[in-house]
Amino acid sequence: MKQPPLDMFVRLVSWGSTLLLLASVATVIGFLLFKGYGSFDLKLVFGDTPPLEALLLRRPVFGGLFPAMVGTLSLVVLAISLAVPIGLAAGIYMAEYGRGRIQQALGLFFDILAGVPSIVVGLFGFSVAVFLHRHFGGRIYPCLLISALSLAFLVLPYLIRTTQNALEALPEAVRLTAPALGATRLQNIRFVLLPRALPGILSGAILAIGRCAEDTAVIMLTGVVATAGLPRSLFSSYEALPFYIYYISAQYRDSAELATGYAAALILLAICAMLFAAAALIKQRLGARSHQRL
Amino acid sequence: MDGERIAQKVFLLAAVLSASVTVLLLAFMVILGLPLFQGGLFLEILTQPWLPGRQLFGVWPMIAGTLAIASLAVAIAFPLSLGVSSLIAVVAPGRIARLVKSAVAFMTGIPTVVYGFVGVFLLVPLVRESLSRGSGLCVLSAALVLGILVAPTMILFFSDALARVPRSHRIAAEALGATPAQVLIYVLIPGAWRGIVTGLVLSTGRAVGDTLIALMLAGNAAQVPNSLLDSARALTAHIALVIASDFDSLEFKTIFACGILLYAFTAAATLAVRRLGRKRTPAR
Amino acid sequence: MKMGLWFRAAAVVIMLGLAALPASADPLADFKGQKGEIRISGGTAHIPVMEEAAKRIRTANPDVQISIAGGGSGVGIKQAGEGLVDIGNSGRKPTDEEVAKYGLKVFRWALDGVGAVVHPANPAKSLSKDQLKQVYAGAIDNWKALGGPDKAINLYTRDEASGTRDVFWKRALDKGEIHARANVVPSNGAMKTAVANDPYAIGYVSVGHIDATVAPVALDGVVPTNETVQSGAYPVSRGLFSLTKGEPKGVAKLFIDYLFSPAGHEIIADKGFIPVD
Repeated sequence: MKQPPLDMFVRLVSWGSTLLLLASVATVIGFLLFKGYGSFDLKLVFGDTPPLEALLLRRPVFGGLFPAMVGTLSLVVLAISLAVPIGLAAGIYMAEYGRGRIQQALGLFFDILAGVPSIVVGLFGFSVAVFLHRHFGGRIYPCLLISALSLAFLVLPYLIRTTQNALEALPEAVRLTAPALGATRLQNIRFVLLPRALPGILSGAILAIGRCAEDTAVIMLTGVVATAGLPRSLFSSYEALPFYIYYISAQYRDSAELATGYAAALILLAICAMLFAAAALIKQRLGARSHQRL
Repeated sequence: MDGERIAQKVFLLAAVLSASVTVLLLAFMVILGLPLFQGGLFLEILTQPWLPGRQLFGVWPMIAGTLAIASLAVAIAFPLSLGVSSLIAVVAPGRIARLVKSAVAFMTGIPTVVYGFVGVFLLVPLVRESLSRGSGLCVLSAALVLGILVAPTMILFFSDALARVPRSHRIAAEALGATPAQVLIYVLIPGAWRGIVTGLVLSTGRAVGDTLIALMLAGNAAQVPNSLLDSARALTAHIALVIASDFDSLEFKTIFACGILLYAFTAAATLAVRRLGRKRTPAR
Repeated sequence: MKMGLWFRAAAVVIMLGLAALPASADPLADFKGQKGEIRISGGTAHIPVMEEAAKRIRTANPDVQISIAGGGSGVGIKQAGEGLVDIGNSGRKPTDEEVAKYGLKVFRWALDGVGAVVHPANPAKSLSKDQLKQVYAGAIDNWKALGGPDKAINLYTRDEASGTRDVFWKRALDKGEIHARANVVPSNGAMKTAVANDPYAIGYVSVGHIDATVAPVALDGVVPTNETVQSGAYPVSRGLFSLTKGEPKGVAKLFIDYLFSPAGHEIIADKGFIPVD
């Protein structure tokens, strides 16, 4: 009955694919480490400006990653603080209030939004900026705020779904105890359900941070530029790490500038790896078995 | 209870607001691209070449470019993903499977621009030097990297689907003397086909929607590619390249046509997946 | 004693004279006490000059914020016209239509050329105009026909927004065909990098951007350099322009004044262009 050739074939294919995939990732990371490792120093971040002066915002930084790092940080903070409250509220609605057709229709919209390519979201953000520019006195340009808003749209469906899933996964016993003791629906959500679902929601939010930090397509249409210095306000243009990496890959001027590109890629990779690890750790504590690709 | 009612309204408002973004996105593109829908112009744009010198602003080459790059990427990722998820499900379950699975999950978090960057400096010179013709910026380079990029998503869907096949089916087959490979091919894969198709469709959506890999690695020539070594431009890359600066000229309106096409494709993919009857968050 | 007095008097006169002179002595001083943002986009040939000027201005006065984006001349003209940026750069002269439609004010601050470039290792460094046209049309598709290696020619071009493309297409290719298989890159900087990395490439780039990483191609025997562009011997030349919607105002005006100051000229020359008044 045994069919050794078939078994051999399956083993060969699965081991082969696994090794191939792992090898390609190892190549990507190894190549970056090999090329970028040597260029890590303070000059990489601060250029010729004394680090303390730069950190105190006393003097601008030229030729360093500092403005791009600050730009990405502001962008992420802004986008997440826009998206999380709305995503959380909408997720609560989907899990605890929404019923029947309305819930289904909303779910459909979220699924479609989750699938929309990020460049299309960027195009939308750009159109909104120009629309506002034309109709509101020409004070609005593609800028930090517009980018953050667009990124918020991008991660909103994930936040909603992770919140919804985390709440729906709670066992019935947890769900029914507080109401049985006389708690209102809102009290139940606020004091029982949300705290219990927090790890799931939090890991979703952390993955959303990673997505905001790495996205390039949205921001390249909505306000990121090659040179801007630190963003002064919500309405400024700004620099960002992923865009810097893209920009350098196409037009580095010398090997020193290229080296900063490698280093920037490593930094971004490290940031995303750390966020991933944090999300995984939180999720592991929860013991969730389902995976969620963000 | 007043607080209760207000809270419920707020939650509903947040949900409706979020859902309206989905509609607004499409509405904005349709309105800004409006003249395109008059007098069969839209169809012309979809089928004509891109020759601005001759006032032809068709996006057919970009449609072909997207199809070529995305389908090749999926064709690369599919067997790879099936192989890896077979390893997780059957060939080496236990510790190795868990290890591989976390590595794959980690891969989903690697920034796209990092893949693109390494592609530019490692893969492109390799393709240029090892193959007789072309600059290395081509359909093949983009598809290879895009394949690696979408594979983890596929693998997570596949191995999830394989794991959901009822244990009883597997045990029954094993009791009949099936080898692990036979269990995989005759029991698990047929039992998991919905999940596999779901993963395939959503990964295709992701490959079609990706901007940076095509932009950085495919060469961006506005031509219908005839070979793997030809330079090509994806719809997404076209939007990024033709930086919109006014809303009057036809040239810029075409990027809204590209946007609408991409929206329609990914929305259709989402609908198809929902029809398959599995409620889960689609992957990007 | 008397001499000393004269000396002092002369010194006072000179100082008064200096103070009365327009900003040209130290144009950066004009930025003192100024605040605001200057948004710049468009022509990519301009970027090195813009960046250096921005660096000097911001070093003197960090309160002036300057953002610089590319996009190409078409983007510069339109974004300046739509009021999306304060200064739009262009590597081609805006058409009369564009100037009239948007009410643009045009400042031409440098003379530049557009030259074909190849990889430095490529021996084919001299082409006739006819050969160049055939190469771009795809009729000649192997370097062997031009005295190079037996390798396919990898064409590189720019997107339609590019002023560099516009000038090259009109003056070097006589509006001849650019084959659709040409790779498209988004800026002068990207063109230089692409050609420097591809041994079988041909592209075209602002003469000011040509350095040791790429080799200029002589057109009908004339190598594109600043000297041949200035003398007129090399025909594919163009101005570099900065545009504003109406008269420039505030810090944007100071920025443009700075380009025309001696310090500005020094930057322009230093970045490889020929400054003009």
